[in-house]
Amino acid sequence: MKNIHSLWLLPVAAIVSPVYASDYLTAEQAQKVIFADAQSFEAHPANITSDQKDKIKSISGLRQRWDTQQIWRAVKNGKTLGWFVVDEVIGKHEFITYGVGVSPDGHVVGVEIMTYRETYGGGVRDAIWRKHLVGKTLADPFKLDEDVPNISGGTLSSRNVMDGVKRVLAIQKVLNLGE
Amino acid sequence: MKTSHRYVVAALLGLGSYANIASADENLFGYIKGAETMPKGTYELDEQLTYRSDKGVGSYHAWDNKTELEYGVTDKFEAAVYVKAQAINTKNIVIDAYIPGDEKYGPRLSGVGTEFKYMFLSPAKDDFGLAGYLDLGYSWLDPHSGLDKDTYTVEAKLIAQKYFMEGQLVWAGNLGVESTYAKRASLSASRQASLPADFDWPIDNEMEVELSAGTGLSYRFAPNWSVGGEALYEAEYETTVGQERWSVFAGPNIHYGGEKFWATLTLFHQLKGYGNPNSSQIDDDLQLIERTKNEVRLKVGFDF
Repeated sequence: MKNIHSLWLLPVAAIVSPVYASDYLTAEQAQKVIFADAQSFEAHPANITSDQKDKIKSISGLRQRWDTQQIWRAVKNGKTLGWFVVDEVIGKHEFITYGVGVSPDGHVVGVEIMTYRETYGGGVRDAIWRKHLVGKTLADPFKLDEDVPNISGGTLSSRNVMDGVKRVLAIQKVLNLGE
Repeated sequence: MKTSHRYVVAALLGLGSYANIASADENLFGYIKGAETMPKGTYELDEQLTYRSDKGVGSYHAWDNKTELEYGVTDKFEAAVYVKAQAINTKNIVIDAYIPGDEKYGPRLSGVGTEFKYMFLSPAKDDFGLAGYLDLGYSWLDPHSGLDKDTYTVEAKLIAQKYFMEGQLVWAGNLGVESTYAKRASLSASRQASLPADFDWPIDNEMEVELSAGTGLSYRFAPNWSVGGEALYEAEYETTVGQERWSVFAGPNIHYGGEKFWATLTLFHQLKGYGNPNSSQIDDDLQLIERTKNEVRLKVGFDF
């Protein structure tokens, strides 16, 4: 993910810097919020191959933008509680960084916004809105105003975070992140 | 020129004083409209400054300012009111029936109006955005000659917008029709005396219909920053002559969208056009009767 992100920024790195980024949680903090019972988190960073990208798109209908994905295994008493995946999606002006907890059987355990840089659309940080994503599987519609509420003034942000969570479920399936 | 420069500086300083408010329904383009509307209950203050120059002969500089307050009535419907002002400095241009000689003044209030936009489909939610737009305007100064002219306009637009690459690339398209009723004031005796005896200056009521089609593409190349291009075709029709004039403008734009405000700068150049062959227009490949060769537009929006 970092490779692509830095490429995107490269042409204007000298003249542009985010002036109002708000960092709410580190990856470590977000892991503990979602998997409160976990005793440890094992890093499993993944390189996403071109073939895997195609499969992710085929399953989710969404483009896998990143070449690498930061992933941790949440462990309790040697057993896998789930997987924690850090992802980024485009917001109205900047990237939104968030973490998704996924159970071994492919359910969303939790979603935490780690970095958010928008004026409007801050509703994606709202715990009530994010709760609509909990429990979802790839079988769910993932459609704004159908199974996930739209956020007025932040439609693009809510759409991209919602789609991103669906894509993370596809990543879990393609990378076989089970027990 | 000095007066006009002061006008530009004053407008920019005025914008700076609002820089503490926040941002939402932003314009990625200077001339092409997007389909999205403001969230319910929010306001946006827009400042639009357009500099028009070069009619192929003499010296022509004009500045148009539009200050607009938009309000999100519902999440899909926004309403706005606006006030227009203009400044002009033209020398050594006499176009029969259109520009009766030199004119120079600093910023003057020139018109008022109201706008409405309804979003039928959201580009972010429904994959393809579609909106209807209506502008009702009244102005009392002619933006071309700078002289007194009462003009009533009704403009309707169909606006389409599509997000690509999760919103990193944005396309917008507009189709519009504008109906105008106008009546000029008579020329002063001193001005009339300075013009050729056969100079025509109709003061009868005018009715005109203008059709327009525009498109734009904007790519976000870095957080907060987008670059793009836009193009606009406009054709004017009148009862007696049918299609009277048309023009095609195109040019690049750069956009900044941030927490406190957004801003868009567009450089617009006339690529091709057609004017009234009976007029004294020099360049036959351009429409320079009611347009210029170049325009520069700066738009800044503050949401709160």
